[in-house]
Amino acid sequence: MEQQETRQLTFHGEGAKLFGIYIVNILLTIVTFGLYYPWARAALLKYMYEESEFEGSRFTFHGTGKEMFIGFIKAIGIFLGLYAILFGGILSQNATLMMLGLAVFYIGLLLLIPIAIHGALRYRASRSSWRGIHFGYRGDRKELLNTFIIGSIITLVTFGIYGAWLIIELRKYIFKNLRFGNITFSYEGEGGAFFWLNIKGYFLTIITFGIYGFWWVKDLFNYYVNNIRMYQGETRLAFRSTATAGGYFKLLIVNVLIVVLSLGLATPWAIVRTMQFVFSNIHIDGPLDVDAIIQTEADYTDATGEDLADMIDIGIV
Amino acid sequence: MYNFSVRYHDGRLSIAHDATLTLMPDHWLIHYRDPSGELVSARWALHSIVTDENFSNLFIFRYGEFPQQTIECKDDRLPETLKKRYSEKVFFKRRITDIFKLNNTTIVGVALAVLALMGLGYWFGLPWLAGAVASRFPVSTEVQMGDTMYENMIRAYDVDERLTAVTSDFAKAIDFKTHYPIRITVVKNKEVNAFALPGGRIVVFDGILRKMHTKEELAALLAHEVSHVHYRHSLRNIFRSLGGYLFISLLLNDVNGVVTVLADNSNTLANLTYSRELETEADSKGMAIFKANGLDLKGFVDLFTVLKGEHGDVEALKLLSTHPLTEDRLRAAAAMVKGQGAVRDDGDLERKWEVIENELK
Repeated sequence: MEQQETRQLTFHGEGAKLFGIYIVNILLTIVTFGLYYPWARAALLKYMYEESEFEGSRFTFHGTGKEMFIGFIKAIGIFLGLYAILFGGILSQNATLMMLGLAVFYIGLLLLIPIAIHGALRYRASRSSWRGIHFGYRGDRKELLNTFIIGSIITLVTFGIYGAWLIIELRKYIFKNLRFGNITFSYEGEGGAFFWLNIKGYFLTIITFGIYGFWWVKDLFNYYVNNIRMYQGETRLAFRSTATAGGYFKLLIVNVLIVVLSLGLATPWAIVRTMQFVFSNIHIDGPLDVDAIIQTEADYTDATGEDLADMIDIGIV
Repeated sequence: MYNFSVRYHDGRLSIAHDATLTLMPDHWLIHYRDPSGELVSARWALHSIVTDENFSNLFIFRYGEFPQQTIECKDDRLPETLKKRYSEKVFFKRRITDIFKLNNTTIVGVALAVLALMGLGYWFGLPWLAGAVASRFPVSTEVQMGDTMYENMIRAYDVDERLTAVTSDFAKAIDFKTHYPIRITVVKNKEVNAFALPGGRIVVFDGILRKMHTKEELAALLAHEVSHVHYRHSLRNIFRSLGGYLFISLLLNDVNGVVTVLADNSNTLANLTYSRELETEADSKGMAIFKANGLDLKGFVDLFTVLKGEHGDVEALKLLSTHPLTEDRLRAAAAMVKGQGAVRDDGDLERKWEVIENELK
């Protein structure tokens, strides 16, 4: 029987270097009253990408502080607008206006989430490359917005139960539209299975006073990774996770100790450990021809979504 | 000496070619054998070559429009050679991030400097900024804001209408020398406490009234709180805690926290502590009000004695506390009493105090 081909990503980042980047970023961000922030983010992403290796080649983040600064300003403008409405409502001391202000604020914030996800994916994917081949995201904003709004309403009506299905739905949509040159992706998860996974995890974690939590995060990670598929022409490749609850336990406990005992100063070392853990536990199985990926995606430089996503604190993919 | 081995990506296909880079006088020549064995070369005009900014020792250059061609070189001699070969073009700009390439001692040094700077910014820069913003805030907006906060927070308390009425009446007999509309509310609460909201609202707990024995003590309390209003101390504090939150959210990359501060602030006002300087400022303004009204400054001494008995002063905590400890304030007030001239015995105020005392029984 033929030996199954498998490939892995490796992370070469060092805590000390990452620490240096954090420190300089914080310093410059303070000195410039926050204006340096986009450049800080660009530097951080650049570093994380260039320390990520696949088949002997590093990834590259092409985004620049300048692009992200424009996005940053737009995102701040949007937030200021929303806050102005909120405070206008509160200061008016009129109950109707106050409620209206609150409603506009929260609905606006909710609508921003899919808009931010869409923009961030388009920007981040387009600005990521490996061996000169760029990633891309071809999703449609309107479609994502519709899925998100309808999904949110059903989730509200079903008291959160539909949330599991919505998350899977969104993952499916995102992966369907993700490209890496001529390579395509799909996500094979199912809402039902994901829902029961969470129900089981939730109750067992409570019953075991949190101990089961390590199995729960392991299950969630595995469910995410194991359902990703990658297609090169007719060839189908599967992602496989080797994460274990024990591995998660070691990762999380040591990270908490590192962060707490150093009063947060050693956070970069914890981040490096996490990246190494994630990369070392993902395998890509199947016969991938790493020399034959064809450039297909176009350039996209609007970083508003990336900055918005950053502000509402959405981690992508 | 102008030949370097590099990896070349043509930007169309993901294949990595092991290529040779030759530095020609006005262009770069990249040649490699493609998988079929054929010799292929690419020519990069010097002016369109872009150096990729990175943190590692891998030198990356890109060329042309999207999709770009790329070469990667691991040879440490490359930057030096480029500098010699092409004096007119700078390939490696000096950047602030170059410090990452320095040794660990430097990084630690920079880190400590940053921490010190952040500390300075937080403890000194922020209060100064908050004061500057507060002093430019329009009074009408401040009053409106204070009233909104008052509406929100007073629901949590049990207002004593009758005490409020008589205490307000008492306050009207004193000229506080301020343009803020002073409005007093007495609430039922055993704690020995009183606080001021921005814009002239003062909330007095009946617990503190019950500890008082003379009209001067109440007058001293009110004069002190009015001074917090007059100098916009609570407004300054709000801006400061907001600034502090902004500062920390910036570090932790969390904008949502700001909303929480704004929502919570009206409730935490009761527990706000003022810095030493602000308390001292309020005390001296309060004493100035006393002098202008011809009231006996001994009221301050008695008030502080009440507070001291209540909170219990521990000398050892002095350095840790941001409050000017009551002991210090007591001493300052006692010194003022000695310097005070004639005191007018205000019969009207005395009668109003008696009404309050009756109400408290």
